[in-house]
Amino acid sequence: MHNEQERIISMINQIAENNISAGDESAVATIVAGHVKKFWPRRMKNMLKDYIEQGGPALHPAALQAGKQLFEESKA
Amino acid sequence: MLQHFDPNKDYGTPASLSEKQVTLEIDGVEISVPEGTSVMRAAALADINIPKLCATDNLEAFGSCRLCAVQIEGRRGTPASCTTPAEQGMKVSTQNEKLAKLRRNIMELYISDHPLDCLTCPTNGDCELQDMAGAVGLREVRYGFDGANHLDAPKDTSNPYFTFDASKCIVCSRCVRACEEVQGTFALTIDGRGFDSKVAAGQNESFLDSECVSCGACVQACPTATLSENSLIQMGQPEHSISTTCAYCGVGCSFKAEMKGDQLVRMVPDKAGDANHGHSCVKGRFAFGYATHKDRIRTPMIRDAIDQPWKEVSWEEAIGFAANRLKSIQYEYGRESIGGITSSRCTNEETYLVQKLIRAAFGNNNTDTCARVCHSPTGYGLKQTLGESAGTQTFDSVMKSDCVLVIGANPTDAHPVFGSLMRRRLRQGASLIVADPREIDILKTPHLGDSVHLPLRPGTNVALINALAHVVITEGLEDTDFIAKRCEPEAYAKWRAFIAESRNAPEAVEDVTGVPAESVRQAARTFANAPNASIYYGLGVTEHSQGSTMVMGIANLALATGNIGREGVGVNPLRGQNNVQGSCDMGSFPHELPGYQHVADPMVRSRFEKVWGVTLDDEPGLRIPNMFDAAIAGHFRGLYVQGEDIAQSDPNTQHVEAALRALDCLIVQDIFLNETAKFAHVLLPGSTFLEKNGTFTNAERRINRVRKVMPPLSGKEDWEVTVDLANALGYPMNYSHPSEIMDEIALLTPTFTGVNYEKLDKHGSLQWPCNNEFPIGSPIMHVESFPTLEGKGHFAVTEFVPTSERASRRFPLLLTTGRILSQYNVGAQTRRTENQVWHHEDKLEIHPHDAEERGINEGDWLGISSRAGQTVLRAHISKRMQPGVVYTTFHHPGSGANVITTDNSDWATNCPEYKVTAVQVEKVSQPSEWQKDFAANHQRQQKLLSEAGASSGE
Repeated sequence: MHNEQERIISMINQIAENNISAGDESAVATIVAGHVKKFWPRRMKNMLKDYIEQGGPALHPAALQAGKQLFEESKA
Repeated sequence: MLQHFDPNKDYGTPASLSEKQVTLEIDGVEISVPEGTSVMRAAALADINIPKLCATDNLEAFGSCRLCAVQIEGRRGTPASCTTPAEQGMKVSTQNEKLAKLRRNIMELYISDHPLDCLTCPTNGDCELQDMAGAVGLREVRYGFDGANHLDAPKDTSNPYFTFDASKCIVCSRCVRACEEVQGTFALTIDGRGFDSKVAAGQNESFLDSECVSCGACVQACPTATLSENSLIQMGQPEHSISTTCAYCGVGCSFKAEMKGDQLVRMVPDKAGDANHGHSCVKGRFAFGYATHKDRIRTPMIRDAIDQPWKEVSWEEAIGFAANRLKSIQYEYGRESIGGITSSRCTNEETYLVQKLIRAAFGNNNTDTCARVCHSPTGYGLKQTLGESAGTQTFDSVMKSDCVLVIGANPTDAHPVFGSLMRRRLRQGASLIVADPREIDILKTPHLGDSVHLPLRPGTNVALINALAHVVITEGLEDTDFIAKRCEPEAYAKWRAFIAESRNAPEAVEDVTGVPAESVRQAARTFANAPNASIYYGLGVTEHSQGSTMVMGIANLALATGNIGREGVGVNPLRGQNNVQGSCDMGSFPHELPGYQHVADPMVRSRFEKVWGVTLDDEPGLRIPNMFDAAIAGHFRGLYVQGEDIAQSDPNTQHVEAALRALDCLIVQDIFLNETAKFAHVLLPGSTFLEKNGTFTNAERRINRVRKVMPPLSGKEDWEVTVDLANALGYPMNYSHPSEIMDEIALLTPTFTGVNYEKLDKHGSLQWPCNNEFPIGSPIMHVESFPTLEGKGHFAVTEFVPTSERASRRFPLLLTTGRILSQYNVGAQTRRTENQVWHHEDKLEIHPHDAEERGINEGDWLGISSRAGQTVLRAHISKRMQPGVVYTTFHHPGSGANVITTDNSDWATNCPEYKVTAVQVEKVSQPSEWQKDFAANHQRQQKLLSEAGASSGE
């Protein structure tokens, strides 16, 4: 059974793994970021942000980069 | 209605599709008809109605009754007009003394062996034999009635829905031919010869014991009372009928609800129906008894907590109670703490209103629909590749297909009327490729072409579709012209490089899929070389952790072989429920407003805001599984569920139940106290499809009218309840009829701008897009271009990422779940009908090898354990499964099939992975702990319901 944070980590890692053929890590991260932006609710985005601020240890590298990319964008 | 024929008239033989016309003269009347039209049909088109018994216009001419004999100038004898094609210059006489005598003699023979009990006969007033006796002027039966006859032939009453009274049979073979030609089951035959010939089911079995699937085609074809609906026998002839749309599967069959006052006598498939052309299945044709079942919830009910008895209250009190609870939750926990779930069983108008209520009155985008758990990957995958979240064809398109690829779908069980059409095409010689872990029934279809079964392991769809595409590309079978003209080149180049990699070759993935490489190569060649090749898929594609990837893989294959944009080809998702397509179209998903318009698009939002008079949230809302997680975490506390049973249909039941228990306010609107309602605080009575007006959109994007044939039991149609709830929440909604809701949908949804009730009534149905560009709809999509930015199809790279759910030493078998013909979805409707006779419990199908290893015999109780939970079902030993794979259905709540399914889901959409669960199976002697709890809770909740003075449950 997932708690919310476990669910978010597993969801974003799964998105990264399933788009692994998109190119290098940065290309994968762009796809992951686009997906999260388009489909995730505010609350889950915020939880992802909190988790990344804690280092995001369980995140796939492309997912971590995607998260960072996303929150840089939202700051801009 | 705009029709090229009168659906209420029987023209005797099917229409010819020839474009060449021939002109002939019948009884002095000149008429031009398409070449190949029978003389009988030509005459009928001129309103010259030649007597007939064995002919009917949905069956090929048979020429056995001889009643339709005519005379043709220059020809000898009296040929049968049903089997004689009209020819240029032909001169036909249908009435003269010789023909009249011949017909009277024939009728005299028929009637000499027919019970003369017309006044007490069930079809009195609707009997073709009676009509023909009148038409030919039969006045006497010179043979008497004392000779050998069939008047004592026994009745077969084994089928719960119809009776076979052999004493009334004239052996015209219409039932036998309907079973063959229309249904494609071949359950009936004529046994014996001459005087001894009789209609026989199966191997001279009863109808119930035979292969008969109870579709009703034989009953409809019968010109006498030999095959009659039991409801007709009990109630007598209907006095009016209303055309409407079936509320079962995504085929969306049109029916005539034949009525006596507000009582439904029978449902007769409508010949004018564009989806079904007069055919039906056991569910739509017969399983409507649930609508008047004693379990129906008739009165609104409320309670403070789920362990308290229900209290019957007025509509005003129930709506007021619900609104106050929702408002106080939002006041305490914030705007995003509540949400709702729209229903794929309700109408477009109702679904539209529920998502509008959530977005406009709740003020958030926490709306989702049960399509989340079935076809959400279709929405995602087809939008990414073809630019629109919908199938590309009509059902009729299959009749022009030369190769049919069926992946993860079981059309003869789950979409039976379309399954029959597909079978008809296969009998004409189209090739069949089936990719499915099970040997499904469509593979048994007799046909002239070849058929290939690719029995893949559950969870390996993407590896298989990639291997098929690999063969197409590496063997030079792609349609280079189509790709150059219609597809985006950069995406194609990228995909081509990926798919050509040797790791995607059939030989490389053979160990993964379990399918011999040579079979894959053969299938790919058959598919790519066919002039028209089509793909049909179902939940066996979508309900996987790579469901969206697989949908894109299917679109890739269709694009690469140029099989998009004309009849006979295309990508065809077979939708599970009646209005899955519609509920998605109507903006049920949390990220999209109606018409798949994203909530983050300010232009889109501003159009809605102007009409709805509110500011809309620009962020997507929660999906169903996220709602459950948030409920358990305590952030999400109120839920409005219209016409869905998430407690039974969603995966990992124990997780769902924990989430529902955590809610402060669960409002369930349903026709029964379903499993979800057992956790509810407010129970609002729902209305069946017979009790309301609206529209459903079927799997071919066809918008069909649903018409009210009887008043709602509880006094309100479902859309009226949503309107009341919105008003009670302080958001005004004012509609006096669903047509006004459709007008608003058309105003805001670019693909629906041309849709309105007047046009629907005129044309019968409309396939969206229906707008200025396509004023009477779009049967085939993407004919000229794709609705993408540059108008091109997009190939998508489809990496195969195996599911994390794998067989292991602890859980060595893979469970896959599915459906059966006689039951529908969670079974709430069909379990309350006589359909129970075919499937009164869910069983676990297990291969003989796996059974033998575990000492399992047919009918043994089996404990099935997964990492999510345990349940107990009876064993059914079957070779339809491969060794290592087990199968069950989820139609009965006590089976707990979803106690064992996990919360694994599709990477893009969170569609649950129902089709792959690693399990262990062992013999047990008692129900699982969950089942014991379920039974106890069921009893407790039924008691609480009965204490409210409401109807008692199952």
